[in-house]
Amino acid sequence: MEKQKIEEFFYRNNEQVNNPIIKSFLSDSNNLYLVQKAILYPTDHNKKLVDESFQSHYINVRKIKYVSNLIYFFSLDFDKKRRRLQNRALLILDKGLSEEAGTTAKELIEDASVGTKLDHIVDGGLLDNIEDEQLLKSLQKLTIKQLQILEMIYVKELSIKEIAHTLQTTPQNISNLHRKALNKLKTTLNKKGE
Amino acid sequence: MVIFENRYNEETLTIIENFIPKIKQCLHNTDFQEREDLEQEIKLKIIEKLATVEFQDAPSFWDFFS
Repeated sequence: MEKQKIEEFFYRNNEQVNNPIIKSFLSDSNNLYLVQKAILYPTDHNKKLVDESFQSHYINVRKIKYVSNLIYFFSLDFDKKRRRLQNRALLILDKGLSEEAGTTAKELIEDASVGTKLDHIVDGGLLDNIEDEQLLKSLQKLTIKQLQILEMIYVKELSIKEIAHTLQTTPQNISNLHRKALNKLKTTLNKKGE
Repeated sequence: MVIFENRYNEETLTIIENFIPKIKQCLHNTDFQEREDLEQEIKLKIIEKLATVEFQDAPSFWDFFS
């Protein structure tokens, strides 16, 4: 008898029961129990219980839907904003620096390769500045390349990377040659010291 | 800040936790360098919106069965 009454109710309201919000509400066994109770004993109290539960369910669903949309559209807006800012601050090298002047940003970039020509490296620098005769003799025993590297490191104060660029080799190679040159200097100086 | 300390706090946290996969998925809408920022911004926005937006006017259950 009771079962029949419930089944009849659901059958009569088949369309509404298939409404997604009602369906999800009824899929919770607690809610289903409340509804069944309200159908069998349709008192105000029972109906009110169902309503309270349903409204909190409804609000929850709305919240979830809202947050879901929020995340999606917020991420799109965020990226739009980021791209707009990025386009505004583009680095354009051949744009004029001031309104009327002809200089552009790219004309102010320093060319680091100028001035590090190899021509006068050995005769102009390192050896001329040595006063200690023993050291001078030891230095003259080094190869030209080793002398060049020593001069670039200690007289011109270039970085290993820059030297590698000028000599068209790798920084590791420069570092090796540098170490070998120092070792050779050390051994020749030690020998003479004995 | 008072809004964030009331009873919605726990509920908001659960919602954010449940939405983490969705957030992660939406992070692909932006550059990879910006993703951490975006994740934080989204979470902040959710907290802000859940605390301020009013979710009311839910219909009565029995309205459906008139």
